[in-house]
Amino acid sequence: MSFFIEPVTRDSVVVQIGKALDFRNAADFKAAVQEQVRSGVRNFILDFTDTGILDSTGLGSIFSLYRQVSPMSGQVVFASVSRPVQVVVQLTRTYKVFRQFPSVDAAREGIR
Amino acid sequence: MPPVKESGSSGSPQTMEVTTQHFHGLDAIMDELHALFDTWESDGALLSHLDANTVQLLRLALHEWVANIVQHADFADNEPRVTLQIVPNGRRVKCIVEDNSNGFPFMKELALRERALEPFPERGMGLLMLDAATESFTYAHSEDGRQKLEFTVSGDKESWLNIPF
Repeated sequence: MSFFIEPVTRDSVVVQIGKALDFRNAADFKAAVQEQVRSGVRNFILDFTDTGILDSTGLGSIFSLYRQVSPMSGQVVFASVSRPVQVVVQLTRTYKVFRQFPSVDAAREGIR
Repeated sequence: MPPVKESGSSGSPQTMEVTTQHFHGLDAIMDELHALFDTWESDGALLSHLDANTVQLLRLALHEWVANIVQHADFADNEPRVTLQIVPNGRRVKCIVEDNSNGFPFMKELALRERALEPFPERGMGLLMLDAATESFTYAHSEDGRQKLEFTVSGDKESWLNIPF
């Protein structure tokens, strides 16, 4: 499964997570964002508008991205968080780490 | 093969209808599981007494367990068979998942994962997430030699997994 990635600025992108980020496609997500990091992207807006499933492996792949970009002053933020994703965010308390925005547009403004 | 559904009343005045689903093979089990939840949530019948967050915790706990089965369970030469029972009970819901794998030392693995959890872990959170999402659980061999996970999810429990950041 591929992820749609939209450039925002030279070093920022929006990643549409789609219906699921779980053990079945986490490797694809990692590969997609790795390619972005290699090309100079440091800020990632994860768009969870349509996401019905975020599991432990999916969250682990986001942690992996965060570990990679945070030493380079990069950011990983969550936008338009669906209820299933919000439940995982609350359960794992990752709201302490990843800023959340009500929409992708708000996130675009917020990471500038 | 699509999941096969059974249903029936337990007869207890405290307990609503028991729903049972049988899954054969693992290729499509995750899609089938989530399709069931989509149906249950849209028709409002099975899980209507639970608040939306509790339903999502239930879905997450089952997802993590089935993911564990798909990725790690050893079925030897047997065709994988998984049975799911849902027993709504007030603001709680009990789940029983049985499978014909060889099983594994769940409690030992859980303790190991808790000790080994690193900051921002990439792997090893699945069983911990299941533990955090549930009010209580047991894992044992059933009398017919199958593996049986039984857990309860409650709308009254404040759940969290303490990941080091």
